[in-house]
Amino acid sequence: MSNPTQAADRARSGDRSEPLLRLTDVSTHFRTPRGLVRAVDGVSFELNRGSALGIVGESGSGKTILSRSIMGLLPTQNTVRRGVIEFEGREISSLSRSKMRKVWGKEMAMIFQDPMTSLNPVMKIGKQIAEPLMIHLGMSHHAAAETAERLLHDVRIPEPARRLKQYPHEMSGGMRQRVMIAIAMSCGPTLLLADEPTTALDVTVQAQILDLLGEQRRERNMSMILVTHDLGVVAGHTDDIAVMYGGRLVEKAPTRELFANMKMPYTEALLESIPKIADRSHTRLSAIPGRPPDLVNPPTGCRFAPRCAYVRDKCNKEEPPLIAAPESAEHLYRCWYPVGSPEYLETRVQIEDRRTTAAAEPVAAL
Amino acid sequence: MTTALSAPSMTSPEGDDINHDSEPTFRVKRKLPPLGLLFGVTWLVVLTLVTILATYFPDLVPFIRSYDAKVTVGGRAKQYGMGPGWTAWFGTDASSKDVFARCIYGARITLLIGTGATAIGIIVGGGLGIISGYFRGWTDRIVSIVTDGLLALPALLLAMIMVTRLDALKGTIGWLSWADRTWQITITLGILAIAPLARIVRAQTISLREREFVLASRSLGAGKWRIMWKEIMPNLVPAMVTVAFTGLGILVAAEGALAFLGLSVERPQTWGKMIDAARDRIGDAWWATVFPCLMLFLTVFAFNLIGDEMARRFDIREAAV
Repeated sequence: MSNPTQAADRARSGDRSEPLLRLTDVSTHFRTPRGLVRAVDGVSFELNRGSALGIVGESGSGKTILSRSIMGLLPTQNTVRRGVIEFEGREISSLSRSKMRKVWGKEMAMIFQDPMTSLNPVMKIGKQIAEPLMIHLGMSHHAAAETAERLLHDVRIPEPARRLKQYPHEMSGGMRQRVMIAIAMSCGPTLLLADEPTTALDVTVQAQILDLLGEQRRERNMSMILVTHDLGVVAGHTDDIAVMYGGRLVEKAPTRELFANMKMPYTEALLESIPKIADRSHTRLSAIPGRPPDLVNPPTGCRFAPRCAYVRDKCNKEEPPLIAAPESAEHLYRCWYPVGSPEYLETRVQIEDRRTTAAAEPVAAL
Repeated sequence: MTTALSAPSMTSPEGDDINHDSEPTFRVKRKLPPLGLLFGVTWLVVLTLVTILATYFPDLVPFIRSYDAKVTVGGRAKQYGMGPGWTAWFGTDASSKDVFARCIYGARITLLIGTGATAIGIIVGGGLGIISGYFRGWTDRIVSIVTDGLLALPALLLAMIMVTRLDALKGTIGWLSWADRTWQITITLGILAIAPLARIVRAQTISLREREFVLASRSLGAGKWRIMWKEIMPNLVPAMVTVAFTGLGILVAAEGALAFLGLSVERPQTWGKMIDAARDRIGDAWWATVFPCLMLFLTVFAFNLIGDEMARRFDIREAAV
């Protein structure tokens, strides 16, 4: 059910069975001239100490807004926030900015998508790492500089002492993301939010950064929320995966369970859209037809219904609730006709039929 | 090392046998040397040095006469009698004082007023700009109205009112006694420098505050003042320095204009004052007017050249200047 690392982590912090983070019906809406944009709409989940959760979804699914809602890093104007976010058993969604400032950096930290822009171009690396140490932990200049060097060493940057005196433009993208990780971890947060930390990086560097994040997480017993659009990224690096669509949580399960036994046709379509290495060259890439839903006027039924290949009348009329799978209580999904159900299989057979006929008689298909 | 590494890939086959005996080097085509910047910096550095030496170490620069020394030829001082020449490089003025020496002493006050006014502009204007750009909303509205108002002020009128009023107040109010003419003019010009600096700093802050590193710093718990001072302000320095240099030229010229109206420091005379004092006799003694004009021109020119070169290097649009 859960992998050994997760079990070990849970055992380590076993005395506190309370989850680190609990979201109850969290919504974030934006007032715009077009109407209310429901960027995040009624999301609930729990995150245990020391475990990693991947939030997956395509652009506009609300995953970034969700992570910023957890951090409380949203503009205050024209933002409507609802629901309860509990962190270490404390309600944080209603905390004032000045109180949140004590949480930021020290208890929660965030890594951003583009390491090219998330470091201050005119400040030396060393100072940027030392700054939060001096603010939060009240370290002296000297102690902060020493800690900064150790942190750079931890994130596998060679010659840390020399790097401390460099400016961001003297480093590569992967290097800068390592620096960002070092900064985020400097004050020992219990929760790390990584918002597409590898999207702007080379594929070869991506794996290194993800491994580094996983390693640091285990060493420091941190929890992590990894936000990404790439199912492949979360596959090897998270304990649980939450799939978001149109501001809603549509499926959540332990990573293995999700890949072995996915319920949402959307999750399946996401997975199918990853090109496979075994495919012949020039294979047409499969894409999900249509566009993400309009978050001002979301579909009345299931949000994915307009693009779903297995759609039926009920899907367009009623929105399915988030229910647990019969096989596993930890597997939640939001679908009337999940993958594997008789209705699903019926449609699947029809699709397969159509595809083979189309392939056999291309002219007749026209 | 760099040359050695990149040479093989860069040298063309034809180029090879030409360079065979010499080092395998190739020359990256350089841009034209920044002549304007070179001239500007040299002029300002030399002028500043000579001025400091003449004021504090007169023994080191014996070729500069003291401020009140009369130029005498054969024991007699001649009024306007002496044109530019070896005895007095820039000639002598109505009271047989050396125009060259006076130009040098005048530079001190001119440059002091210029830099002082710019400093006021940077501190007040920069402060207002960063605050209004960062907070936006009502703060921004109010500051924008103030800066627009400052831009609309008739500069000469402001100067006349400031100088005459401050002169009067200085006599009656004890704590204003420090406000001599130099200060009065510095403050007046400083007020005029606030608006352009506030504008460009505000514009830059608005674009900087949306950058990800500001959000990243906020996510680490930095407060708004800390973000403004430590994250945004250092990024504003190039823009501020550029605008300040261009502005310095304008301010030095403006000081000359004020002097022309009689609103100037009496002693040592600024360049503007010298031009004003000698202009009636320009027919007989052109040198007493032309040389201070030339100094003023070259200095303003130097500031502008430096400012332009900086704007080019830092890629700053001058829309706000």
